[in-house]
Amino acid sequence: MRIAEQEKDDVLLRRAANGDEEAFTLLYRRHQAAMYRFALRMTGNTWAAEEIVQDVFMTLMRDPKKYDATRGALGAFLYGVARNRVMKHLERLPREISLEEKNEDGTGSGIVLQDLSTPAMWAEKRERRQQVRDAVMELPVEFREAVVLCELEELSYEEAAQMAGCPIGTIRSRLHRGRALLMAKLEMLRDLPRRASAAR
Amino acid sequence: MKCEQFEAIGLDAERDASLSELERVAAREHAGTCSRCAALQDSWQAAGAELRAFAEDTALAQAPARVEMRLRQEFRTQHVTLKMRRTAVVAAWALAAAAALVGAVSWRNWRHSQYGEAANQVIPAPAKNNLPESDFAARANRRDPAAVPSGARQPVSTGAGRPEALMADNEMSGFAFLPGAFATDSEEAAILRVRLQRGALGALGLPVNEERAAEWIQVDLLVGEDGLPQAVRLPR
Repeated sequence: MRIAEQEKDDVLLRRAANGDEEAFTLLYRRHQAAMYRFALRMTGNTWAAEEIVQDVFMTLMRDPKKYDATRGALGAFLYGVARNRVMKHLERLPREISLEEKNEDGTGSGIVLQDLSTPAMWAEKRERRQQVRDAVMELPVEFREAVVLCELEELSYEEAAQMAGCPIGTIRSRLHRGRALLMAKLEMLRDLPRRASAAR
Repeated sequence: MKCEQFEAIGLDAERDASLSELERVAAREHAGTCSRCAALQDSWQAAGAELRAFAEDTALAQAPARVEMRLRQEFRTQHVTLKMRRTAVVAAWALAAAAALVGAVSWRNWRHSQYGEAANQVIPAPAKNNLPESDFAARANRRDPAAVPSGARQPVSTGAGRPEALMADNEMSGFAFLPGAFATDSEEAAILRVRLQRGALGALGLPVNEERAAEWIQVDLLVGEDGLPQAVRLPR
């Protein structure tokens, strides 16, 4: 199944390189969501994620020969390009001033959280997920990457290690430290309202 | 399994495919006996559940349609530009080839016209047998070979002896042997068209009207192998 898909990707990429717009569009539609989710979860910013996805496919369009089918699937190659773009984005992030407007509740406008139940539950869940999002975004990049790949993208340790270009042991240790930090942050955020209400 | 080991690999032992079954069992046993690590695992599982919920929120996230539009626009621009560039290159090569062809044809035509002129000016004489018998027979006994007059201007000789410069037999007619000239057997005899003053014909032993001696005329000289004129004619 996977082999057939890779073959299809190869064929589509060859056709796209020869100017077949439909083939390129098909490739884009097949892979854009995964790239976008990864970029969004890593940056927490829809604009940045959009820009990264565009960059990834622009790279594929301008230089399709960069992809070597013998070295792996196209999806993995695109993940690699997306990862590089994400890292560049995160590197220059402290020097940039975000022009994004804040939501009414003061949170960033990055990931739009969905929910469904009653307004009270909706508000509570929304707040909790916002806390999780903030906690993930505050993790150092390497730990965040491990958490995003293993916990959010649900890749195996092996796949995550391949993606991040490091040994499995490194991924495991990053994930371990990332989890520890995340748990500490979540505990802290969970305790904040309790402390605030106790102080009143 | 110790607590440090459990923290490192035991928290996610069920998911980590790189662990052996023994390690998984050891992790489970440790969590069952160590309350601290069990609490840690519970805490992690709670965090994991929250992370999964967060992941679900973004599971259906997709790049906006404008990204696809921009990419398709860029794709079109890039490939149209590429096609135009290729067309321009092909057109340039075609133009260059056409120019080279025109140049070659023009040069060939020019060369042909040059040969034509040369053939009109310098024509190798055919063998003696081809010359009109009457002219040669009539003057066969005359001697006193005459030199080409010093005032004569010789036309540029190009390609004397080229096959295409050969003249038809009937063009050899009209030559009058100079006094004292012999008809030679040589096939190297050539006709030279020269422009000279009529008075110079006197030096060749021909009678000249003194009143018109300064007049410039064009004559054909039949020059023998020795380079001396043997016969002369006034071209029509």
